[in-house]
Amino acid sequence: MKERSILALVIITLVMLAIGYLVAINVDVMPVAASSRALLVDDLARILFGLATVVFIIVQGALIYAVVRFRKRKGDNSDAIQYRGNNTLELIWTVIPAILVTFIGIYSFRVLSEIEVHSDDEMVVEVIGQQFIWQFRYPSYDVRTQELHLPVGQQVRFEITTLDVIHSFWVPAFRAKRDATPGQVSELVITPTELGSYPIRCAELCGVGHSVMNSLVTVESEEDFLKWIAEQSGVLPTPDLEETGSIPAETEIAAEPAQLVGSSIFGRYDCGVCHVLDDAGGFGHVGPTLEGIGETAAAREPAVDARAYLLKSITRPDAFVVAGYSAGSMPQNYEDRISSEELEVLVDYLLTQ
Amino acid sequence: MTNEEIMTAPIRWRRYFKWNTDHKVIGVQYLVTTFIFFLIGGVLAMMMRAELAQPGKDILDGAQYNAVMTNHGSVMIFLWIIPVFAGFANYFIPLMIGAEDMAFPNLNAASYFTFLLGGLVMMGSFFLGGANTGWTAYVPLSIIAPDGQTIWAVSLILVGTSSLMGAINFMTTIVTMRAPGMTFWRLPLFVWGMIATSLLVLLATPVLTTGLILVILDRVAGTVFFDANAGGDPILYQNIFWFYSHPAVYIMILPGMGIISEIFPVFSRKSIFGYRMIALSSLAISVLGLTVWAHHMFTSGLNPGMRVPFMITSMIIAVPTGVKMFSWLATIWDGKISFTTPMIFALGFISLFVIGGITGIFLAAIPFNIHVHDTYFIVAHLHFVLFGGSVSAIYAGVYYWFPKITGRMYNETLGKIHFGMNFVGTLLTYLPMFLAGMLGMPRRVADYAPEFTELNLLATLGGILLAFSTIPFLYNVIVSLAKGELAGSNPWRGLTLEWQTSSPPPEHNFESSPLVTSGPYDYGSAEGAQELLELAPAAGD
Ligand code: HEC
Ligand SMILES: [Cu+2]
Ligand SMILES: [Cu+2]
Repeated sequence: MKERSILALVIITLVMLAIGYLVAINVDVMPVAASSRALLVDDLARILFGLATVVFIIVQGALIYAVVRFRKRKGDNSDAIQYRGNNTLELIWTVIPAILVTFIGIYSFRVLSEIEVHSDDEMVVEVIGQQFIWQFRYPSYDVRTQELHLPVGQQVRFEITTLDVIHSFWVPAFRAKRDATPGQVSELVITPTELGSYPIRCAELCGVGHSVMNSLVTVESEEDFLKWIAEQSGVLPTPDLEETGSIPAETEIAAEPAQLVGSSIFGRYDCGVCHVLDDAGGFGHVGPTLEGIGETAAAREPAVDARAYLLKSITRPDAFVVAGYSAGSMPQNYEDRISSEELEVLVDYLLTQ
Repeated sequence: MTNEEIMTAPIRWRRYFKWNTDHKVIGVQYLVTTFIFFLIGGVLAMMMRAELAQPGKDILDGAQYNAVMTNHGSVMIFLWIIPVFAGFANYFIPLMIGAEDMAFPNLNAASYFTFLLGGLVMMGSFFLGGANTGWTAYVPLSIIAPDGQTIWAVSLILVGTSSLMGAINFMTTIVTMRAPGMTFWRLPLFVWGMIATSLLVLLATPVLTTGLILVILDRVAGTVFFDANAGGDPILYQNIFWFYSHPAVYIMILPGMGIISEIFPVFSRKSIFGYRMIALSSLAISVLGLTVWAHHMFTSGLNPGMRVPFMITSMIIAVPTGVKMFSWLATIWDGKISFTTPMIFALGFISLFVIGGITGIFLAAIPFNIHVHDTYFIVAHLHFVLFGGSVSAIYAGVYYWFPKITGRMYNETLGKIHFGMNFVGTLLTYLPMFLAGMLGMPRRVADYAPEFTELNLLATLGGILLAFSTIPFLYNVIVSLAKGELAGSNPWRGLTLEWQTSSPPPEHNFESSPLVTSGPYDYGSAEGAQELLELAPAAGD
């Protein structure tokens, strides 16, 4: 009897180990892994899933077995055989989980130390969160954009900040996330390993536009990256990078002077992230479309002419709130950010649309 | 009064709508009010699931969605799960320890009415624009939010104060009013659960209240406690908030675990396995529970060096939780199980809670946490703990004690239909969310990328099933209240003291003060524990 139950225990243990192992190597619940860190995190996830499956099966198995096996027989109103405790058993189910979590803890710690190692040739990218857009600044190129491009294989240190509330910079494909907290610069290091484009999402509730606070990261060859940088800035890259000789001549474009053109002001202040306006490259759906806004603005408020309406809509967004949208969803600080000349040009431009 | 007289006496409805100091009346007031809030929270949940059934903005705009989401969370946590256990505790602590009433009956009534006021204020805030920052109300979002946010914070302070009044009362009652012979090691495990819970409430709630007051001051008085531009600290708010709100998870689960520990022995006809270990593990969980809060902040502006200590404490807390799970399994092992509705809800509790518990360990592993924090993985995890866990335990408790509170039996068939819908609905709603979160869907979004459509549709279908599952429950309660079979004092042949008096119990609970000579789960007589009412020794001589 004793021998048989020991044998059963051994067999169950082996079967469990096999199941746990099979789950660990086959489980596929994560998105594409596009950074060196992602591979390590996914290995941890595999181990977690393997162990979890074993614990899950043991508990649910015991539960189902008990439910099937120990039903009360009809008419039997007597009590069951009593045992109130068993020190060995209680020791086992205290010690084994303790060992398991110790193992998980140590393993997690090792992964953590490995994914956060800094290196000397990190590229710094500043990530700036703002209701409800992401901006990226490449200090070494003096480039500021709303899309993130990264050269493959190059370790990057993100320096994450916010202009208003807390946001959280998350790239699922990198398995990396860090909050943008007011008054702080938070760091996050990753090394992209797979070419491709991956979503960036804001993970911390930041207001009405939280669900649209998305962007894209493109991981590309160093050559393509430098080409893109050149397109963004219109200026030559810094000399040390030029030495690598990877900038094809035809991509050098003339620096755009800070001209007062309506459509470029529209672009500079990210209006297009929230408003559709083809002429100026606006694509967003957070706010109403601005196609035909010249006419719409005239018709909006009987007492207010189109020009005054537009001015007010930009500087005091909550003065008029378009039906179906909520107050507070347009940035409230344009009055401080946009100069009065720019504002004039922008409104003139919108009136022609 | 004999049992028959009590049963035929009309229910005295009016006292439930008044200031009444009878702990049983207050218990029922709490149970019914919180259930109404549960239904309101459920309607809010269904509005979210409707919006999320398909990508795109369908029925709610961003601001409405955030208000609905915030109030769903706040209602479910502060107006349903936490206070519903105050309802059970009010009704059953005095009965289970053989007392006549609570230590401070007027404070008790005050706690209920403070809660009710808090609840109404929260509803009011919702109609005045509403808090829309999530129940976490992180600064600075909660500082710049519309006025509803202030009112919402006031409502939480009221509800927290009510919960403090309750905790003081429960502790004092348990310490000073036990019947002769009711030693601490003879306390039913639900009472032990309430000891652990009340300690947590007393230690943690004032901290949240402080945090909310600071938020209100920042909002209305121009202070800058949390304003980084003026030298304030937004992370301070997170520390304050989670110092309460992580323990709140245990405030919401320990009493439920207590209920489970009552139900398994009765319906397995077996003594609870490892009584002391279960009682002590509740205390261990509440002490440890105060030391893990920063695991909600692994990706925040917290000093990164602080993460590992909090990972360690969070991992350790799995051990006492495991002890409870295995002790329950050992309790039903070799038992004589009858599958009444409370018993299957308790079995369902184990099955669902274990999923919440295991994924909790996933979340303690920092590198994994960094990926899934603030995603639907968290939403799934917390609902397996709070819906699969706490709500299953609450339903188990309602069915278990329904005969005691009302004097009538509920309908078993309807109860089982309810269980089936609830169990399947829970799995269908929350399992897909784990996957959505890992694949990249953030939480608290009114819209999502099309790749998550199938998973969200499944969750919405599950949600619909959960919504409908309340229909057999409500129907059962109403019909059984009117026409259910008479229960008698001890339909489950339980050994704890609440079963040794009539159903519903008389005004002062026991005809004569009970004298306790054995433990709450001392099953084991060959003929079963049938004649308990007579066996329970009368004291006073
Ligand atoms: C973060 C998203 C967001 C950004 C960025 C944004 N807006 Fe808006 N905008 C909105 C929303 C939402 C509304 C509708 C609510 C309201 O009226 O305040 C709106 C409304 C407007 C309206 C009124 C439209 C109408 O149909 O009456 C105008 C004009 C406008 N925005 C112009 C701009 C301009 C110009 C910029 C850039 C300087 C800009 N917006 C940037 C979100 C945004
Ligand atoms: Cu954000
Ligand atoms: Cu956000």
